[in-house]
Amino acid sequence: MSKLSFRARALDASKPLPVFRCEDLPDLNEYASINRAVPQMPTGMEKEEESEHHLQRAISAQQVYGEKRDNMVIPVPEAESNISYYDSLYPGEFRMPKQLIHIQPFSLDTEQPDYDLDSDDEAFVNKLRKKMEITPLQFEEMIDRLEKGSGQQLVTLQEAKLLLKEDDDLIREVFDYWTRKRKACKSASLIPVVKQEKRDGSSTNDPYVAFRRRTEKMQTRKNRKNDEASYEKMLKLRRDLSRAVTILEMIKRREKSKRELLHLTLEIVEKRYSMADFGGEVMAEVLAQRALIKPTYTMPLIPLSSNQFRHQDHLELKDFKPKVRAPFLVRTKRKYEKKPKVLQPSSSVSQQSGHSSLPAFNAKDLNQYDFPSSDEEPFSQMLSGSSEAEEDSDPDGPFAFRRKAGCQYYAPGQGSNWPWCDPGDPRYRYSLTTLTVPHRCVGLARRRVGRGGRFLLDRAHSDLDNVFYGLDPEMHSLPAQSPNGKLASTSESNTSDRPAPPDLGHILLNIKSCRWRHFRPRTLPRDSDSSGLYRGLTRVSMANPRTQTGGSTSQSRTGPGPAPAAALTAEQYQQHQEQLALMQKQQLEQIQQQQAGNAPAALTTQGLVSKTLDSASAQFAASALVTTEELLAIKAKEEIVLGIGVNGVFPPAPSAANSSGMTAQTPSGHGAAAQVLMGNSVRLGMSSAGGTVNSITTLNARHIPRTLTAVPPSALKLAAAATANCQVPKVTAASSLDMVVRENHDQETTALNSIADSTVAMEVT
Amino acid sequence: PVTHNAPLPPCKRRGPGRVRSVGDGRLEVIEGCRLPVLRKNQENEDEWPLAEILSVKEVASRKLYYVHYIDFNKRLDEWVTPDRLDLKKLQLPKKEAKTPTKNGLPGSRPSSPERDVVRAGREGESQMSNGTSRRLIPSQPGRKRKANCVGTDEDSQDSSDGIPSAPRMTGSLVSDRSHDDIITRMKNIDCIELGRHRLKPWYFSPYPQELTALPILYLCEFCLKYLKSLKCLQRHLTKCNLRHPPGNEIYRKGTISFFEIDGRKNKTYSQNLCLLAKCFLDHKTLYYDTDPFLFYVMTEYDSKGFHIVGYFSKEKESTEDYNVACILTLPPYQRRGYGKLLIEFSYELSKVEGKTGTPEKPLSDLGLLSYRSYWSQTILEILMDLKSDNGERPQITINEISEITSVKKEDVISTLQYLNLINYYKGQYILTLSEDIVEGHERAMHKRHLRIDPKCLHFTPKDWSKRGKW
Repeated sequence: MSKLSFRARALDASKPLPVFRCEDLPDLNEYASINRAVPQMPTGMEKEEESEHHLQRAISAQQVYGEKRDNMVIPVPEAESNISYYDSLYPGEFRMPKQLIHIQPFSLDTEQPDYDLDSDDEAFVNKLRKKMEITPLQFEEMIDRLEKGSGQQLVTLQEAKLLLKEDDDLIREVFDYWTRKRKACKSASLIPVVKQEKRDGSSTNDPYVAFRRRTEKMQTRKNRKNDEASYEKMLKLRRDLSRAVTILEMIKRREKSKRELLHLTLEIVEKRYSMADFGGEVMAEVLAQRALIKPTYTMPLIPLSSNQFRHQDHLELKDFKPKVRAPFLVRTKRKYEKKPKVLQPSSSVSQQSGHSSLPAFNAKDLNQYDFPSSDEEPFSQMLSGSSEAEEDSDPDGPFAFRRKAGCQYYAPGQGSNWPWCDPGDPRYRYSLTTLTVPHRCVGLARRRVGRGGRFLLDRAHSDLDNVFYGLDPEMHSLPAQSPNGKLASTSESNTSDRPAPPDLGHILLNIKSCRWRHFRPRTLPRDSDSSGLYRGLTRVSMANPRTQTGGSTSQSRTGPGPAPAAALTAEQYQQHQEQLALMQKQQLEQIQQQQAGNAPAALTTQGLVSKTLDSASAQFAASALVTTEELLAIKAKEEIVLGIGVNGVFPPAPSAANSSGMTAQTPSGHGAAAQVLMGNSVRLGMSSAGGTVNSITTLNARHIPRTLTAVPPSALKLAAAATANCQVPKVTAASSLDMVVRENHDQETTALNSIADSTVAMEVT
Repeated sequence: PVTHNAPLPPCKRRGPGRVRSVGDGRLEVIEGCRLPVLRKNQENEDEWPLAEILSVKEVASRKLYYVHYIDFNKRLDEWVTPDRLDLKKLQLPKKEAKTPTKNGLPGSRPSSPERDVVRAGREGESQMSNGTSRRLIPSQPGRKRKANCVGTDEDSQDSSDGIPSAPRMTGSLVSDRSHDDIITRMKNIDCIELGRHRLKPWYFSPYPQELTALPILYLCEFCLKYLKSLKCLQRHLTKCNLRHPPGNEIYRKGTISFFEIDGRKNKTYSQNLCLLAKCFLDHKTLYYDTDPFLFYVMTEYDSKGFHIVGYFSKEKESTEDYNVACILTLPPYQRRGYGKLLIEFSYELSKVEGKTGTPEKPLSDLGLLSYRSYWSQTILEILMDLKSDNGERPQITINEISEITSVKKEDVISTLQYLNLINYYKGQYILTLSEDIVEGHERAMHKRHLRIDPKCLHFTPKDWSKRGKW
């Protein structure tokens, strides 16, 4: 016995069990006691039913006899199988088909009435038949319709007449019969149906209610994720398709317009030919007349859901004006609406040092589609090539400009017709303004107090801009006193003179004689305390690509300031830029690894930026901030200084690594979040960078809803062109990140100069 | 005198189930009472098994009692005349017994009066002694309803016990009977006529309530539509042109065919089938719709058409390896091997699917017997056919058996145990085949002539998980 006292191992389902015949193992019984080691499996029956008498008897009978005896089976209520009328009831023969029976879907829906005539009905129908034509089937159909037409309330006779197509007499007879029968009937319907659940839930426990709908979602378990994923995919697909439709619509419109233009041109040529206007005199005359009419336009109402691809009717309208110069050109260049960057001539170079901080805008800006879905990634747009919008990496978030219906938007005039061009006009409060850093005159501007006490400068274009920019801020040193301007103090003077023709001497005269107001900053004490603030500012600006673009212009401008100071060559600066770009790239690569995007390099880079931006993953944002911080801390300090040095704007005093620019003064650098505020507050600031001769190269980005922007490359080009127009030999992009992308476009810069001629819509508020 | 339990405290619950003394000192038989009731056993001998009175009704001024025989399956419950009651051994309802507990064993177990409480011949006395306290004993709420007022009474569903809650949405069977009330504990259909057969339902089925009062409920043999009269059936048959279940025939050998019906695509038929099946399946629930199920209907062909013999339902997606939800051979076809054929077919489907399967629980008594029998024969068939290669003793793993047969591993083990084949011998488990087993198996296989021929199966399993909602 002792040898049997150990526990047997558990039964292993994957272990081979040798099969023996009992007669081969005479000593088997000695081992019997161990067999309990195998746990008894449950029978799968309800406990209390397991003990039922007949079952137990049957089980034991089976175990004893190896089979069930007839008298040991579980008794069941009896059944008969001798329905005598069966053969007459189920008439006909049914031949077994050779093939397996395959039922066609929906073939079951025969239009047979569910109501079946009973003996009472039969008697009624037979009686009725003496008076009028009616078949049992017809009767059934009528009752069926009446029954199904009735809800809680019975069908009225009027309704019955509508329901039934029979004669009125017949309807009345049947209706009366049905009403009587229905009232005598206790149940809800003459067609017996299984009780339905009630919506109020009162039938939860009614045993006669069956086949309730599974209202709750069936547990999908492993599939739930799939369901969601496929749902999202469907949403996306729908969105993509609708976008494709939109694009095709737009193409159609475009091609139509092209054709129209061609026809019109042809017509003009023919007319001129018939008028014998071979010298072009008539044409010139007409055009000159037209030019006088200031083009006004209202917002075109395009009934398309996505406004992203709106080609600007007004743009083309405006384009007409420059055509004075090339009147017979059949629109050689398509002009896409771009998202020009705000020109911020005074932005300091320091902005370039850290582009990694994230402008805080949300995904919606990138994805202005009809059907937003949660997994909408800007990636897909890029890869799909259907949208060029995402290269426009500077959305305004919730502050994006949106055209208002009924609002008139003026194109910038040739210059002189803007009311604020007169610096003295008090209505517009634009005055000549000079900044401390970079120390130069920025032309017409007015100061506002923005959110959080920031000072905002709205800038205005004027014909004299190029003159203003050339002003030497030091040439007139009026005592500046401002109670509240830290960066900018004002000196005011009144004059109502109209500006003289763009004559430097004259202007200077005007200014000096205080006929023009001129805001000038009070020179700040260069104490190191302020550097913290400036650094914050710097970061803020850096984080804002828009200002950076502006920066690109400014930095490229050869500063009029007195200090070419740091002996940095352009090459050195370039190197710095490249280093920065490299850093940026590395960062981006990290992101890229995380996100596993396989897009072409340039695209990917941009896409990733958008991606990270709009996904707004807090984590990354935080890290980005840190990065910025680091950049600033480790590198930027010198670089900023150096950068500034390049511009020759600021003397290389490390303590005063102060910065950016033109305007806004954020209480402290809050990184990305603060950005938008600032960026947008500058929105109205008009920056007229166009220093070139023929140009209104007003890259007043803010005035063009970014949603209208179409071709990102062109946006870049435009920016580049703007800088090119400023007669800068080499564009140094605002930020290293931008550079990464932009390097590809640099070579195109020169070719694009002509584009810069185009005017851009500007909002008059 | 009879000894009693401690005096019963006054009871707070209401209910008609009080014991009332009738004028002559005898007790009125009311719901909840237990007493021996005469019934014939299979040898047609008289037996007096203890039974519980579930309901009382009066037909033509004659009382009828619905009795449940204790320790007998519910399907044998019946209406009996008073002369079959042994009133001398009447046990009164016990106070607490019928309280439906939410977690305990409620339901089909009736109240259990102490069997020794009242002895024969002593009722009068004992009743006198404790009549007052007994008087207050209520019957269980929810069971108070008399059968003859079912359907007319508006508050017949006032199952005041427990908070109503919907059953789980997977599967087709309920084991939690806490919602059972007197209505579902009693057969509600007297007789069903289906084709050439008259069937006596075994359990409650939620056919439209107005049809339950009929002596015979008529079903169309092919579409299973329920009709209130023969006349209606005749009329229906002029309009119904089905001569087979309305699905695709996926198996045919000889006269036996299987049709596959989608519970979502063919709701009417599926529901009719479920209503019929519920008459014979105690634990089947019709609470929810038939959408997540497929129905495999086995038919036998004759010149009138394809007559339903039995069916099994199957969840399109089972999370618990169930390859059968409900399975039923209609009574006229029982005990002729069709059940085993249905089971065999269900495992053939699983083989095609490459899965092992098991029937949904709980099994009924007949279900257990049928499955055990099928498992035994299937496994023994394999074991007997094992050939020893190169003179060694043949061997096989449980997993192999499971793979070959598609019978779930646990069922293989339980069958091996049930047949007592597993033995621990000299440090390892072995399978032993006794002479009895072998002979019994050979006898059974000799009788088992109905088999599924896999070659006749034309079945492509669908991956329902990829189809969204069934």
